[in-house]
Amino acid sequence: MPGLLSSSGSLTVIWFLSWSLCRSSAQIWTNEVSDVQYGRLDSNVTLACGKSQIKIPVVWHLDDSQVLPWHKVTSDGSLVLLHVNLSAQGNYSCYDNHGLLLHSIKLRLGYPPGLLSISCQVPNHTLVRCSWKESVKTFLPVEYNASLRGNGKAWQPCLVDAAHKYCDVEHPSFWQTIHTLNVTATNALGSESTAARIKLDKLLKPDPPESVLVNEVEGFPNRLNISWNFPSSWALRDAFPLVFHIRYRPHGSQYWSEVYPEESPVVIFDALAGHPHQVQVRARDELDAESQWSDWSPLRYGRPWEDPATSEPPEDHFPDYVFPFNTKPETSTSKSLKPVLQDDGNLGLVILLVLFAVVIIATVLSLFFVVWVKQRRREHVTKQELTSMVKMKSMPI
Amino acid sequence: PSLLLLDSSSSLLFSLLLAQLPVFTSASPVPPRRTGDMDRLSNQTKSLMKLTQELLREHAFESDVEPHRFRSLPEMSNRSANDLNNLELKPTLSQLHADLKLYEHHFEWLNRVSKKHHHPALPKLVEVIKEMKSLINLLHRQMQRVDAPKLTPATPSLPPHLPYQFDVLQSSQELLHHFKLFCDWAIRAFISLKPKITPAQ
Repeated sequence: MPGLLSSSGSLTVIWFLSWSLCRSSAQIWTNEVSDVQYGRLDSNVTLACGKSQIKIPVVWHLDDSQVLPWHKVTSDGSLVLLHVNLSAQGNYSCYDNHGLLLHSIKLRLGYPPGLLSISCQVPNHTLVRCSWKESVKTFLPVEYNASLRGNGKAWQPCLVDAAHKYCDVEHPSFWQTIHTLNVTATNALGSESTAARIKLDKLLKPDPPESVLVNEVEGFPNRLNISWNFPSSWALRDAFPLVFHIRYRPHGSQYWSEVYPEESPVVIFDALAGHPHQVQVRARDELDAESQWSDWSPLRYGRPWEDPATSEPPEDHFPDYVFPFNTKPETSTSKSLKPVLQDDGNLGLVILLVLFAVVIIATVLSLFFVVWVKQRRREHVTKQELTSMVKMKSMPI
Repeated sequence: PSLLLLDSSSSLLFSLLLAQLPVFTSASPVPPRRTGDMDRLSNQTKSLMKLTQELLREHAFESDVEPHRFRSLPEMSNRSANDLNNLELKPTLSQLHADLKLYEHHFEWLNRVSKKHHHPALPKLVEVIKEMKSLINLLHRQMQRVDAPKLTPATPSLPPHLPYQFDVLQSSQELLHHFKLFCDWAIRAFISLKPKITPAQ
């Protein structure tokens, strides 16, 4: 008997130990690995206690002893969470009446994706970038799949950056009338496709010109030399010319003057002596006048040359003062300037022009000279003829 | 004797001037007449594109309908920006010529249909066709100069019947937009081909 008692006692100890071990290991398991169940916010979500139908009473816990949200437990032991909100998310565990863990589920709540609001940028003829905004905040991770096709041709993949919600198509077939971009958003609760029809030629908009510099022209207090670079994203040059638009004004004035040069640099001749000027440049595809102008480049400042003998000490900064002139508003001028001749750069061309002018003058002069000589000769001959005729007349026959 | 001297000096001056002329004319390594041909082609295409854009603007209406009426317009899906760097002179000129002939057929069809429906864009449409013919002739002359073969133009497949003015409007929008993009590509092609015209051609 004592042996039996001792054996039953030891069995109890083993059972207790194994139960407690099982319980602790189950606790670790629920915290580390569990099934994930997704549910839709504002609806009823049912969590089953394992796969098999359990008839015994079960107890549900949320995380570590948190109070369960509004719920009911069905006869088969499933937990039904009613009209769930975000606070109902967490790790749910069900136990039998002995405290044994039966099942554990991680609940995540959200909405299925809705339609997307898509917009596309075309910074050059080799790139289309489309970005989107969600119309529904899903609260769940979403994957995107995007592709582009033109005029019913084959779909071309659009490479997705899911974090920043955009995709890129490199080397699209640009010269097609209409393109369709299709973006499918998928999460655990469903998926939604959004199609956008786009006209690439209407969306073409270069990036702003870069490295804009405004320099004085030595010896000229009314001139400014403005130079810039093509936008670096506009890589193809020869067959893709750009036209530029410059606007400038004395700092503090509200009226801009404008020029439309074809290439950099350009010299403006009507800068206001002694005053800092603001300058901005933008670009547009030269061939398609209906494509879009780029945004303006950031403001750049420059001051025309000042004679060191007459000028006051230069200001180190550009004060934010109101333009001190109360004169009539300066009219905004719109001129198309060819690149201005630079003193050193185009010296050869000037020499060539001078030479050409000399040759033209020489030709004209020589023509006059030849005509004059011929006239003289004719007069001379006529005179001689007359003299001889008179002589002949006076001769006695 | 003095007269004789004057005569000879003036003719010497003329000879000198005449001798200088080629120096000025051959300042660039490529004879200007040949590259000028390419400039003329791209300028003519530019004015055609401008005219097309005016027509599109004047009779614009918002249409997001996928184009479907014209099945035989020149294929633009295989033309990419990077290809412009690798264009070959003769095949490109031949292809552009064949494409233009195809557009000519489509525009003449549109002109006939527009006449029936008294479409207000008619005078400008006639002008587009006139400019197009002029470009085709210019291009043909250039092809003859470089011995580019003339391709057999594809047979146009035109919409059979347009019962309503709306159909005409939609068709003209589709055709004009297609042609505007073709002009855009063609101008860039002519610019890219310009350095490929050699003096021998």
